[in-house]
Amino acid sequence: MELLIPAIISGLLMGMLFALVALGLAIIFGVMDIVNFAHGEFLMVGMYTTFLTSTYLSIEPLLTIPVAATLGLILGVASYYLLVRHLLKGPMIAQLLGTFGLMIFLRYLAMAIFGPDYKILQQGLLIGKSAKWGAVIISYPKLGTAVISVIAFGAVYWLINRTRLGMALKATSLNAEAASYMGINTERMRALAWGLGGATVGIAGALLTNFYYANPTVGMLFALIAFATVAMGGFGSIKGAFIAGLIMGLLIDVGGTFIGPQHKFALIYLTYFLVVIFRPQGLFGW
Amino acid sequence: MALLEVTDLTIAFGGVVANDRISFEIEKGEIVGLIGPNGAGKTTLFNCIVGFHKPQQGTVRFNGKDITGLRPFQTNREGIGRTFQIINLSGNLTVLENVMVGAYCRTSDRRIAGQEASEILSLLELEKDSDSSLLELPIAAQKRVGLAMALATKPKLLMLDEVVAGLNPKETEEMVGLLRKICESKDLTLFLTEHVMEVVMPISKRVIVLDGGQKIAEGEPQDIADNERVIQAYLGVKYAKSRKH
Amino acid sequence: MNTLKDALSFGDLPRSERIGFFLFIVFCLVFPWIIKNAFTQAVMIQFLIFCLYGLGWNLIGGYGGQVALGQAKNVGMSAYTVALLMVWWDVPFWVSTPLGIIVATVESFILGYFLFRLKGHYFAIATICVSLVWQQLFINWDLIGGARGVELPLKETPNFVYMQFSSPVYYHYFAFILVMGAIFYMNWFRKSRLGFQLRAISSGEDVAESLGINIHWVKVKAYCITGIFAGAGGAFYAVYYNYIDPFSVMHLELSILIALMTMIGGAGSMWGPIIGAMILIPLDRYLGAWLGGLGVTGVDFIIYALMVMIISAYEPRGIWGIIEKARAKR
Repeated sequence: MELLIPAIISGLLMGMLFALVALGLAIIFGVMDIVNFAHGEFLMVGMYTTFLTSTYLSIEPLLTIPVAATLGLILGVASYYLLVRHLLKGPMIAQLLGTFGLMIFLRYLAMAIFGPDYKILQQGLLIGKSAKWGAVIISYPKLGTAVISVIAFGAVYWLINRTRLGMALKATSLNAEAASYMGINTERMRALAWGLGGATVGIAGALLTNFYYANPTVGMLFALIAFATVAMGGFGSIKGAFIAGLIMGLLIDVGGTFIGPQHKFALIYLTYFLVVIFRPQGLFGW
Repeated sequence: MALLEVTDLTIAFGGVVANDRISFEIEKGEIVGLIGPNGAGKTTLFNCIVGFHKPQQGTVRFNGKDITGLRPFQTNREGIGRTFQIINLSGNLTVLENVMVGAYCRTSDRRIAGQEASEILSLLELEKDSDSSLLELPIAAQKRVGLAMALATKPKLLMLDEVVAGLNPKETEEMVGLLRKICESKDLTLFLTEHVMEVVMPISKRVIVLDGGQKIAEGEPQDIADNERVIQAYLGVKYAKSRKH
Repeated sequence: MNTLKDALSFGDLPRSERIGFFLFIVFCLVFPWIIKNAFTQAVMIQFLIFCLYGLGWNLIGGYGGQVALGQAKNVGMSAYTVALLMVWWDVPFWVSTPLGIIVATVESFILGYFLFRLKGHYFAIATICVSLVWQQLFINWDLIGGARGVELPLKETPNFVYMQFSSPVYYHYFAFILVMGAIFYMNWFRKSRLGFQLRAISSGEDVAESLGINIHWVKVKAYCITGIFAGAGGAFYAVYYNYIDPFSVMHLELSILIALMTMIGGAGSMWGPIIGAMILIPLDRYLGAWLGGLGVTGVDFIIYALMVMIISAYEPRGIWGIIEKARAKR
């Protein structure tokens, strides 16, 4: 039982990060019905950005968040204009394998440039510190990550629901043709969706580096978690991504406590299946 | 026994009742038209009969057999064929191959399927387009290919979904002539939904009218044209009233 | 019989293709007599095996349009069956291989039955998940060797009962026969009822269904057949390398490579997978050998990835699509 409480806390904290990772995917899918298989790799890029900037320029990792976000934004927008825009015109197989190709490209490019070693941050405000709260130890990096994730999530939520730009984005996701008749530049909206997706996951990557290793293979694991999360929350639903993220975090940490950490993967996949087969529209999706 | 018996068919999506207790029968050999303003539920009715949707209430009987809720490939094998407004345009299969897919419904022999497909293409005057891709053909020919594909499945009842939509008057006339021809030579029963009155009225023996999900009238074309409720549905209450004077 | 005629007759294909195919056969037949370099011979055998995988994947992924990204599990399961049966009970290749293929096919059938409720990317992700689960399972399953893998006992060569040989020439012809079998099968398939129905599904499921096609069932069948090809390749792998482990026969990279290769060559076309393999396998081996010596890994994947992105964006029908376009222009 004493194991349960730390697992729940850890799960919730991680869940907020998962929600942030899933957010980008949910937006992209909502606006244009394409799955970004390279999403995990965008995360990986964010992680390396933070690691390198922080280590070689001796900057506090938390301060590198804007850098990672900006790079993520650029990466997303560039992906859209150079690749995705063309994929959308083609058949399903092209769409799937196209972003898949992007994933492989980024992953092995990172492998070639950075090598397969695991890089972990040594210095930082949050790193390696933890607080004792009663009988429970809370890791500072995870706490900080969760807090900032929620802030980032909230910011995006505000952007989408309370600004004109966000409204235009929503309109495009509901009916692109009609939106274009209203004078909305749907091309730009799609690019924006990718930029937003890239930026949010860049932030997530920056945060993750505070307590998780950077490595070219990290992408796949988090991508699968993100897919399962978005599937659960409902592709296209932002609210859903948040709640599903929390559930996912709990599942992995609490579940992992009971059935052993090496089966965490199986838990993720199983969740994905169950959701997709029994409730394909997720909790809030369409 | 009627070929098609629809009884109390009801289906709702979310809060909207698309088909509300619709009942009618179609006898073998008839040509029956289905009309109604946009959004009346015509396509939904088609989809329910064919099997793309499962109605929440009511039954569909075909040839005496209850086919309610069966999937489209099952209703097709029972003998219901259906055309679509838009066929997915892909360069995947040639015209002949597309029609062969339909023929393969009834045979597994390639040679027989090929022969039957060719015959149907001849009947519809499309032989010269056999090896073309759908993408290359004008819309009138595409519609005829769609018709050929459905015919290849040897249906007893052919359901036509706005088969003349997008055709100019001359092409429309040709299509109507074609429909009459196949109806006779293939011993078919036709159930067609249309917006173009000049097509539905002359060709149909009977017409069913839907509005707002309900059947509001059924009868011979002439009576339907004079039916006040029908006029109301299409042109509004004011016009119907003004006609009286 | 009609079936045999359909399988063996390439008459409906243009002359240029028939000539190309003939040259391909001749090349494969004389290859071992001309090339004696061991490395090149090994690359050729790899090429042939990937042709087999690709031709199989082309069925569900190319003609069927269902992007299944987990074929490695079929390769692995069949390879393990052959290997374990030989290690435990000395079962000859010709008995264990059909069993291995059956194992792969049954799993495909059960999996396909459930997974084909899903469409598009949901389906693709699910196949990745399944493949990863199987790999994890095999890594943690000590009874069958776990991460250590299985080493096949070596018999006196040449051995036609266990299909073990010291000279690659035998393996070359064996692989060649498998590929020819696959090609003849595909030749029959593309003219068959199943082939037409599968292609119709890929064009548009609603229309296909109203033409009397039981979509779910056709997809499952196609998926099982793809599994058979992969299983055959897996069995070959086991007796060729005589060592297997979950990282070399069941890894995600293999599934991805098969799909990418077929797509680049031309998914949904008869010769696409072969063209794809022709480009990617030598690229992979030679580049890998050259750069591996320099300590850089994975560059071949970077190149494939670029190729896939370019092809997906500009010519989704792959290199074969480009060839057909050029032909149509004349």
